[in-house]
Amino acid sequence: MALISIRSLTKRYGSAVTALDALTVDIEPGIVGLVGSNGAGKSTLIKILLGLVAPTSGEAKVFDLDVQTRGTDIRQLVGYMPEHDCLPPDTTATDWVSHLALMSGLPRTAARERTAEVLRHVGLYEERYRAIGGYSTGMKQRVKLAQALVHDPRLLLLDEPTNGLDPEGRDEMLELVHRTGTEFGMAVIVASHLLGEIERVCSYLVAIEGGRLLRSAPLGSFTEGTGTLAVEVDENAAGLAARLTEQGFSTAVDGRAVLVALAGDRTYDAVRDAVVELGLPLIRIELRRHRLEDLFRDDPAKPAAAA
Amino acid sequence: MPAQAAPATAAAPVETGSIYDLGYRRYEGPRLGRAHAIRSLFVHSFRSTWGIGRGSRAKVAPFTLAFLATIPALAILAAQALLRQFPGGEGFSNQLPVRYETYASTIGVFVVLFCAAQAPDLFGRDQRHKLLSLYFSRALRRTDYTLARMAGFMLAVFLLQLFPQVLLFAGQVLLSTDVATGFLDQAPELAKAAAQAALTAGLLGGLAMTVAAFTPRRAYAVAGIIALFVIPTIVTGIVVGLGSEDLGRWLILLSPSSVLQGTNSFLFDVPIASDSGGLVPYIPDWVYLVVALGGIVGSVVVSMRRFRGLTV
Repeated sequence: MALISIRSLTKRYGSAVTALDALTVDIEPGIVGLVGSNGAGKSTLIKILLGLVAPTSGEAKVFDLDVQTRGTDIRQLVGYMPEHDCLPPDTTATDWVSHLALMSGLPRTAARERTAEVLRHVGLYEERYRAIGGYSTGMKQRVKLAQALVHDPRLLLLDEPTNGLDPEGRDEMLELVHRTGTEFGMAVIVASHLLGEIERVCSYLVAIEGGRLLRSAPLGSFTEGTGTLAVEVDENAAGLAARLTEQGFSTAVDGRAVLVALAGDRTYDAVRDAVVELGLPLIRIELRRHRLEDLFRDDPAKPAAAA
Repeated sequence: MPAQAAPATAAAPVETGSIYDLGYRRYEGPRLGRAHAIRSLFVHSFRSTWGIGRGSRAKVAPFTLAFLATIPALAILAAQALLRQFPGGEGFSNQLPVRYETYASTIGVFVVLFCAAQAPDLFGRDQRHKLLSLYFSRALRRTDYTLARMAGFMLAVFLLQLFPQVLLFAGQVLLSTDVATGFLDQAPELAKAAAQAALTAGLLGGLAMTVAAFTPRRAYAVAGIIALFVIPTIVTGIVVGLGSEDLGRWLILLSPSSVLQGTNSFLFDVPIASDSGGLVPYIPDWVYLVVALGGIVGSVVVSMRRFRGLTV
């Protein structure tokens, strides 16, 4: 049984906007990155999983429970951190988080204890007795994370958790997400359009674009070698490319670098010989790896053209 | 030196706002589920209406209005206690202008203001700060949320109206020559007052919450609630002024405060106070009761529909 199983899930807003287009994917426990550009359908997918939004067609199951009929059961075991602000300014973090713990079904004393624990876990101390209105963005994000964790969910859905944070705040938030997922074995889904962040905390990736599944695979397979050699020279990259093409290699020029499709060890020799023959100042030769950004480009061999 | 000892113990430099992990523990205790969440939200709604848990400024308006609504009861009790000092004052004290059957209309304006001021603090506030997505992603259903919020608010309005009359009741029982007789005399009246307070809380509270459900903007909600409570009365007056008394009589059923006057006269079996253009009420009293109950159900249904369809 997959943690989340999604079958040809479609969501249309009116007739013009299709947020999800027959999406089918299984998601296993772990820290899963949900990546896609803005408007790819990440938030819509999360809201459907929570039962906040009804799908137009298709089926989605969380913990093997249908989101449309068993929403209340699912939501007791899921923590949700929305993308937008969702905090009352006139209430203290302690009051708000423990109130939401009650809303998740925790008894009153347990709600209070869990609130203190969880606020400490996210790094809020004396501030938690002050009204949220006076908090910095970083502190607000922590409260949002705390309310998602307070009822100790089995699944945590985080929608752009680093939104509005400065670089240091991002690092701390990602570290916290990573630790929550790994040390406590909680399943976490992190939606983000920032691929660099996703790379740092996730073990598995689901990439969507235009409401469709682009790819769903372990992080490692996204970044394994592509078999492209990047040869960076100081001048005449075009000449080098031409020389290698003559010898039957497929090449592309990317600025000062020539990208050569790797065809066995003889590729290295051919590159070396060509550089020597043309007398080019060689800067470096490196084996290119897939980067996450390449997911959103038509041709991985020509990153510059598509960017 | 103590001054140096302090930094020495703080080995790790403490920066404000850093995330430290002092241990996250799993929760193995009971999960009480949906019914518990509904009860808790009901209590929270009641407390929030009085500004409890929202800072001291949020308490000013509700408690001021509650105090104003209590003044007539206190004044009457003081007057009765005084009159009893004089011979013959006993009979005179029964002629006092504030009694159970007139109390509701005496403090009516405070109840209306309370509804207008406090209803947007529940439904409007939840929308303004986008809190609904957190409520709706928990153990509650949307209808649960709507009902718990409305019930909590209605209870607050109910107590606002009934509490002064309970004071009045307690005072009069204690002031009466025979406490037991006084209690038996007054108890049925208090029960009627409680029924009237329940109808008021349901109708005014329900309508106010329904208006508040439709806008996150506090100012719009306050204006809308006041308009809903006041404009029908004015329109009725104009229609009657234009000569259509028959039409005017039925239009009075659109005015919440007039409907509540009708239920009050039904409950206490007294003639309706004819302060709206000298209308003689040919509408039977029970019609007011039906309209009031219909208004309560209607406001709850409309609010539930609003939150069922709301995108969060």
